[in-house]
Order: sequence, then structure tokens, then C-alpha cells
Amino acid sequence: MDAVFTIVANYGAAALFAVTLLSCLALPVPASLMMLTGGAFAASGDLVLTTAVLSAYAGALVGDQTGYVIGRSCAGPLERWAEAGRRRTFLLGRARASIDEWGGVGVFLSRWLVSPLGPYVNFASGAGRMHWIRFSVWGAAGEVVWVVLYVGLGYAFAESLPAVAEFAADFNGIIAGGVVAVGLWMWLRLMQKRRGRLKRSLSSDDSGVTS
Amino acid sequence: MLTVVRTFWRKHRLLLLAFIAAIAVTAFFAVRLLVFTLYWADPDHRRQSLEDWMTPRYVAHSYNLPHDVVREVLELDAEEGKRRTLADIADASDLTLEEMQRRIDETARVHGGGGD
Repeated sequence: MDAVFTIVANYGAAALFAVTLLSCLALPVPASLMMLTGGAFAASGDLVLTTAVLSAYAGALVGDQTGYVIGRSCAGPLERWAEAGRRRTFLLGRARASIDEWGGVGVFLSRWLVSPLGPYVNFASGAGRMHWIRFSVWGAAGEVVWVVLYVGLGYAFAESLPAVAEFAADFNGIIAGGVVAVGLWMWLRLMQKRRGRLKRSLSSDDSGVTS
Repeated sequence: MLTVVRTFWRKHRLLLLAFIAAIAVTAFFAVRLLVFTLYWADPDHRRQSLEDWMTPRYVAHSYNLPHDVVREVLELDAEEGKRRTLADIADASDLTLEEMQRRIDETARVHGGGGD
């Protein structure tokens, strides 16, 4: 943790830009912690608050767009792969449908509430050919929340930075773990329901034969 | 409920294990948050000692001291452009972090402030 604080102390806004950019590309860098630190140094007067916010925000936007473009470049090969089988085509179609339905909100929430999923949502949005403007607008809105939330928390609780960092990390862990758990539980229920339907239709076939 | 779990265990073992792992991760962070909050609730634990990464300005902010006073205590020259950490200052002078801590504590007492 101290190493992260030192990097922000030494490189300031440039470090914030770099770290939010890299974190949007799924690189394991402590972006949230660095933004908290940036906020704290803004409160103490070592950094200018607007510079800290804008550099972190710019990094996040560039990172999101890069992730989207990388995903988009995989869209062609993915479609060719999907065309090879009916089940694959079906799966891709379903993924497209859920992007159409939930894509905007998904992009928004994966910027800040479930930020560990953010980079993968970027790749998936590109690969699933989500409309660029839709992706960019929801993404840009989500990043405002992410950056302002963390830099703001660091600014407000600057005098006890390590404690805020600990709180934020634990809180993030709870949210991310909880969302994944709920998602997996819903998946399990779905599988169970489908199996139940399958069984029912099989048994009704049987009774049809016997009667 | 138990039969549901048993069915999942037989039919979707991997998915169920992933679900249990996710619950465990969530619980781990919840416990950590709770322990840390209890620790933090004790005012004695809130005092933040000086660290290598801090800057003089940050020390001033954290200890509620005027920036000039901190600079004076740390034997720094008049305002300079570059941000320096206490580690940089320790490298460039013969002040150790312990000595800085002693001086800052002393100054904080004189100024009627504290670690808060």
C-alpha cells in the first residue's frame, strides 16, 4: 500500500492517468487506491484537485475506448467461429440480445459499482458490436461516478488515508463477491428450472405413449 | 433447501463450488470490514504515525499543523516546486523518520493539535 502512496507522491497526475487507463484493460493495478491517494494529496495541497480528477477521468476514458476497440477487432473472428455451429450461433445471438437489453446499464454499473468486471465488459461490448455511442455515453457517465467517488473520498478523509483505503477495499470486495454470488445463484436456479421443464416434457411424452 | 443443494451438488458441482467460493469471498471481506471498523472505533488507533510516502504538506494536513511550521521542523528551505516525500527528505538530510516523528509530536503538542 505504501508503495502506491509513494508513486502518487512522486508522479502525481501522470500516475493517475496511467493507472486508470491500465485498469480499464484488465491489468491488475490499484486504480481505486491511487485515486484515493490522489484525492488525499489534493486535500493536503500537493496536487490540484481538478487536475487529479481530470487526469484520472481521461485515463479511464482512453482505457475504455481501447478495450472496446480491442473487443471490436475480435468481433469478426468471433462471428466466423459462431457460424460454424448452430449452438454457437444461438449462444452469440443470446449474448447480443442481452447486450441490447442490459448493455447500457451494465456498462454504467461495471464502471464503479462492480469495477473489477469493467475491463471484461469493455471487451465484450466491442466483441458484441454494442453501438459505439451507447457504449461511450454510458461508460463516460459511469466513469464520472467512479473517479469522483474515489478522488472525493480521498479528499474528504485525507488525514486518515490508509484507513479509508482499507474501508474502500473491503467494501469493494463485498460488492464484487456479492454480485458474483447472486449471479451464480441465478444461473443455478435457471439450470434447475430448465431441467425441471425437460423432465416434465419427457414424462408427458411418456404418458402420451402409454395412454 | 437441502434437497436443492444436494441436486446442485450432483448435477452442477462446479457451479455450486464457484457459488460457495463467491460467498466465502464476500464473507471474508465483510469480516475484515467489521474487524477494521471495531479497531478504528478506538480513538487510540486513529493516530497516524509518519510514513515514508507522506509529504510535508500531507503531514501538516494530517496533524492539523500549519505547513510552514512543518517545513521548519523538518529543516526544509523556503517553498520549492517539487513534491518530496519524507523518504526523499531523510535521504537528503541526516534526519531519520523517528526523529521527524519525535519533532512533529512535540510540535503538535505545542500547537494544541494532535493526531486528529
